[in-house]
Amino acid sequence: MTRRRLARVSLLDPARITEGVGIALESIRVSKARAALTILGVAIGVMVVIAMASMITGINKAVTGMLEQAGPKTFMVMRHFHGGVNIDDGSEQPWDRNPWVSVDEGRLLRRVPGIAEVAWREETNGPASAGLNSVSSIAIVGATPNLIKSAGGQIISGRAFTEIEDAASSYVAIINDKLAEQLFPGTDPLGRLVKLFGIPYTVVGVYAEAASLFSGSDTAPIAVMPHSTFSKAADYWRGGLFLIVKPDDSTTVVDAQDRVITALRVKRGLKPSQENNFSVVTQDKMMEVYNKVTGGFFLVMLALSSVGLLVGGVGVVAIMMISVTERTREIGVRKALGATRREIMFQFLIEAATLTLLGGTIGMAFGGSIAWAVNRFSPIPAAVPLWSVVAAVAASAVTGIFFGLYPARKAARLDPVDALRYE
Amino acid sequence: MSDLVIHVVDLVREYQMGAERIQALRGVSLEIRRNEYVAIMGPSGSGKSTMMNVLGCLDTPTSGEYWLAGQEVSRLSDDALARIRNREIGFVFQTFNLLPRATALQNVELPLVYGGVGGRDRRDRARRALERVGLGNRMDHRPNELSGGQRQRVAIARALVNEPAILLADEPTGNLDSTTSADVMRVFDRLQTQGQTIVLVTHEAEIAAHADRVVTLRDGRIASDLRQDRTRAA
Repeated sequence: MTRRRLARVSLLDPARITEGVGIALESIRVSKARAALTILGVAIGVMVVIAMASMITGINKAVTGMLEQAGPKTFMVMRHFHGGVNIDDGSEQPWDRNPWVSVDEGRLLRRVPGIAEVAWREETNGPASAGLNSVSSIAIVGATPNLIKSAGGQIISGRAFTEIEDAASSYVAIINDKLAEQLFPGTDPLGRLVKLFGIPYTVVGVYAEAASLFSGSDTAPIAVMPHSTFSKAADYWRGGLFLIVKPDDSTTVVDAQDRVITALRVKRGLKPSQENNFSVVTQDKMMEVYNKVTGGFFLVMLALSSVGLLVGGVGVVAIMMISVTERTREIGVRKALGATRREIMFQFLIEAATLTLLGGTIGMAFGGSIAWAVNRFSPIPAAVPLWSVVAAVAASAVTGIFFGLYPARKAARLDPVDALRYE
Repeated sequence: MSDLVIHVVDLVREYQMGAERIQALRGVSLEIRRNEYVAIMGPSGSGKSTMMNVLGCLDTPTSGEYWLAGQEVSRLSDDALARIRNREIGFVFQTFNLLPRATALQNVELPLVYGGVGGRDRRDRARRALERVGLGNRMDHRPNELSGGQRQRVAIARALVNEPAILLADEPTGNLDSTTSADVMRVFDRLQTQGQTIVLVTHEAEIAAHADRVVTLRDGRIASDLRQDRTRAA
């Protein structure tokens, strides 16, 4: 009994593990091409896991940040919310008959109790210039003065335009920091002129783009002008207006939504049997769509890394079969000296796992570099999450052990007499 | 009869070679006592190798009994036999069979690793075994840094380290020149005087002459079993 237990404990003997690792490194040196294939496969698999996991983590962090800034209760009213990827085949969709959301409806919602702010926003693209500097295409937005109050974001310098400026269709604009940098490098843009659609606007404020799900990319240059000015000056498709609704502190999102829906149904004269011909989109719903997208990401990640690990696994089988054949005699000696099947098997599994863990380590280094590069050169705050490192190490070890199992079993089952006679 | 280290009764070992059934051993009975020095001889095809494999618990007989150090081992499983080999048998092979990447000390430690002996105890025992064969100053050398005679002495140290019931040597001088052979045989002789039971499998009369008893096999049977006055180098 004690002998058995001793034998089991001795499997984890450091001498044995270092021996297995040493033999693995030796066989890598000897058969470089085979080992390279194995290591490369595992490395690619692990790299994909690390890189994609860090990007997903980064995007998650960004999205959570946005939600925190915009306030979790803010929601949107729009003509139709697609929710995910949508293929337009030109045929009429049910929502094509939805009427556009109007400014009047926005004004109506401002009077609904429990609603703190209603902003609206429309958008198009166009060139912008200031003096000798120009940008060929920026997002030009027409919005109510309370856009930033409802959707989040921050005035860095100057001010937002006022209700009076909106009512008077004044030629004023606020620009985001990105556009300020491009049109007015090194100078203060406040009070200067920016040309949009060829018309000059006075810059009254610079803002940091709302970290909000409702405001598009936070890196593109953007200019925002009063909505009334926009509707007169800009040439754009009129169906894209949407309302940004922020409930007051004492009203829940559900209550606020109910009230908004009721108000709009009454305004649009819908019968109880008719469905809403508009969409109310909460951030939860946006999150759902976002999660669907990241789910797709995860699937791609899983597929890519599986292929990599499979290639690595096949390499493990090949290299280990050769290792077993080359060392048949040694296996015979070990058996003669008292190695049991399990001990022989363990030795070869250590060897296989060393091979794949080496690949895993290389993959982690590359994946980590990709994450670093993404973090450095793109807006995604990518960071390698601990779980992906754990998953990578586990995946590479499991690959080695799983694919090493067959060769190791073969070695363990060798007949000692035959093995000792093997030349 | 606690004195009996090996007790073999009517041992038969058959092989299937295609359609033919070959009997390598056709009923061998043999007793070897503690501290005996036995040479097993015979021409090739006599069953000598099969006998050595069965005695070494590398192979199991088709029928018959094999008692090794008081335990019947002829029907044990692979892993049970591995443990018996680890504890009771020290092998010395013609081709040394040392692990090329391991140092002398690591080679000698190997049976202790499989026996579950760890740490300092293992190193001390391996060191002592190497000292017993006169290689205390070569412990950190790898096999390719040692002469043939030294390699075989490392192998003997490895065979001894677990204090086995028998030392089983298969043509231990087959790959050595005559001077080195004499060296290695002196090690065996000394071990025997220290109390070790030794079984030599050889076809060389000169080597067999070191033993107290010579068992000759022919056609799978014992042809003769003679005691002799050993010739020993001084």
